[in-house]
Amino acid sequence: MTTFDADGITLERVREYVWEIPQDGDMRVPARVLASEELLEEIKEDKTLEQITNTTHLPGITNHAICMPDGHQGYGFPVGGVGALDAENGCISPGAVGYDINCGVRMMRTNLTYDDVRGHEEELVESLFANVPSGLGGGGIVEAGVDTVDEILARGVDWALENGYAVADDLRHCEDEGMREGAAPDKVSQKAKDRGKNQIGSLGSGNHFLEVQRVTDVFDADVGEAFGLEEDQIVVLIHCGSRGLGHQTCNDYLRKIEQQHQGLLDQLPDKELAAAPAGSQLAADYYGAMNAAINFAWVNRQLIMHRTRQVFERVFDRSWEEMEMDLLYDVAHNIAKKETHTVGADGEERELYVHRKGATRAFPAGHPEVPSAYREVGQPVIIPGSMGAGSYVLRGGENSMDLTFGSTAHGAGRLMSRTQAKDEFWGGDVKQDLADQQEIHVKAQSGATIAEEAPGVYKDVDEVVRVSDELGIGDKVARTFPVCNIKG
Amino acid sequence: MGYELRNHTADVAVAATGDSLEAVFAAVADGLAAASCDEIAGSGDRFSLSVTAESREALLFDYLDELIYLRDIRSELPVDHRVESIEPPSASDRSDDGDGAAGDGFDEWQLEASARGVPLFDIDAREIKAVTYSEMCLERAGTDGDDGSWEAYVVFDV
Repeated sequence: MTTFDADGITLERVREYVWEIPQDGDMRVPARVLASEELLEEIKEDKTLEQITNTTHLPGITNHAICMPDGHQGYGFPVGGVGALDAENGCISPGAVGYDINCGVRMMRTNLTYDDVRGHEEELVESLFANVPSGLGGGGIVEAGVDTVDEILARGVDWALENGYAVADDLRHCEDEGMREGAAPDKVSQKAKDRGKNQIGSLGSGNHFLEVQRVTDVFDADVGEAFGLEEDQIVVLIHCGSRGLGHQTCNDYLRKIEQQHQGLLDQLPDKELAAAPAGSQLAADYYGAMNAAINFAWVNRQLIMHRTRQVFERVFDRSWEEMEMDLLYDVAHNIAKKETHTVGADGEERELYVHRKGATRAFPAGHPEVPSAYREVGQPVIIPGSMGAGSYVLRGGENSMDLTFGSTAHGAGRLMSRTQAKDEFWGGDVKQDLADQQEIHVKAQSGATIAEEAPGVYKDVDEVVRVSDELGIGDKVARTFPVCNIKG
Repeated sequence: MGYELRNHTADVAVAATGDSLEAVFAAVADGLAAASCDEIAGSGDRFSLSVTAESREALLFDYLDELIYLRDIRSELPVDHRVESIEPPSASDRSDDGDGAAGDGFDEWQLEASARGVPLFDIDAREIKAVTYSEMCLERAGTDGDDGSWEAYVVFDV
C-alpha cells in the first residue's frame, strides 16, 4: 500500500487523490484528505491533519471526516473541512460552521467584454471603492432598525425584493432561492443584531473582496453556455459573509454549549469543536439562529450586488438591464445544512447535518436541490482565487455525492500566516506589481490587507481545481482573471 | 511581560504574560488591538466595562468577545487596556475544580476593566472577527507556579 508520511501521521492511499488516516483510539471514523501529493506536502505543514482527525471524534460523524484539496489549519475544525453528523443521534457544531456563517461567493454576469472596460478600470475601481462599504467601521448600504433586521433574518433576499434591492430573477439564481427555511430571528441575540444592523451591505475585511473579472477560458462549452459564460466576458465576483451578526451568533452558541453540554464537550479533543446534541433544545436553537444568519449574509451580498449595478450604470452610462447584469449564482462556503444522504453499504437514507467549513456544496446534474435553471447541468460552484491568480467556475460533479456528501473546495487555501505575509510583502509593492505586470487595479482600506492577501500567500488554485475536476466532485467550467479588486 | 503576535495560517494568535491575572488579561487585549491596527492613534476617550463568567478561561473569552462587540457598537477600537480587578466567585464554589460551576448566577468570576476607544475613522484597522477557544491556554507561569504571574495564548479569527 502506498503511504504518505506527514511528520508522524501516516496517510494511506485509497486511490488517486484520496488519502485516509485510519481510525484509531477515540476516532469514530477514519479521516480522509482529497489531495495530490503536491498539495499534501503543503497541507502537512500546519495543523490541518491533526484538526481533521480531531473532527472524527464528534458524535454521529458519518463515513469520514473529509478535508478538501484547499484545506488548511483553522480553529477546531480545519478550513476546507466537511463533516456529516447524524441529525438524529449526532450533533451540530457551531465551530464546524465557522464564525462567518454563510461566508460565500456570488458571481454576476454582464454582457460587457474586456475591451468595453479597458480605459475605465481606474474610474471603476475608485467608484466601487467609494460606494461599496468595506473595512472596519465603514457602515453598510442600509441602516436598519431592529424590526428590519428581524425581517432580513426571517426572509432573506425576499426582503430585498420587496424593498427594491433585488429582482425576482436574482432569487431564482441563489442557493435556496435566497431564503433559508427554518430561520429563527428570536434565537439570534440582541448583541448580534446590534452588531449587524449597521453592517448590512458591507464587505468587511480580511480575505473578503469584490472583483471585476474577465473570463479567460471556457473549458466546457455546453455547461458554459448554460451558465451564460463566454471568453472575454466581464463578470463580477463578491466574496463576504454575515459580518458581526454571524460572528456573534457563533460565539453566543459556543458559550451556551459550554454551559449546558459540558459532558459532550469533555469527550472532544478541542474545545472549539463544541457541539450541541441532536434533538436538544440548544441544537434546534442554534440551527434556527444559523439559518437566520445565513439569510442575513445573502441580503448582504445582494445589497452589494445592487450597489455594483448602480456603479456600472454610472460608469458605462447604460442601465444594468441593458448590460445584462444578472446573477449567475450565489453559494455559501461556511454552513451546516440538514440534508438526506445515502450512506453505508446497504444504501440507507439518513438525515445528516452536513457541515461545510471552507467547503462548497457541489450537487450534480439532476439533483432536486439544484435550482431548476441549472438542474440539467449541475449546480454552479464558484472558487475565488487570490488577487493575482484568478478564479474558477465549476459545476457539481457526478462523484460528489459518493465521495464528499456533495461538496468540493472553496478557494485556493492559505499557505502563509498573515504576520509572515506582512514580513515578506509590502502592500505598495504588491499593488504596483499587479498593476504593472498583470493590469490588475487594486484598492484597499489598508496596505497591510494587500500584503496579507498577496498572491504568494495562497496555494496554487489551479492545482486545487485540477484535483477537484479529476475526482469528479466539481468539474471545471470556466476560469476568470481579475481586472479590478476592492477589499477592506 | 506583555504580548507577542504569533503565526497562524489563517488567523492570528496572541501569546501574553503578566505578573498578575489582571495584567495577563490586559496584555492579551493589547495584543488584540495590535493585531487589528499597526499604528494606533492617540485619540479617543476612556470607557469602562464589566464582564462576568463561570470560570477564569470563560472570563478571558467573554472579556475579549465583549471588546470585539464594543468595537462594532461604538465604532471605536479599544486600546491601552487596563484590567482594574478580577474577583473570584463570592459565593461558595461548589465545583470540584474550584473554577466555579456554570450558570447558577451566584458563583461567577467578575472583571472590571477600562480601555481607550480610538475612533475607527482615525485609523486603518482590520477586522478581527472573533475570539476562539481553539488552543486557548491560561495558566500560572513561573517554575513553582506561585509567584502570581500568568501566561495566556489565544487564537483570533481574522
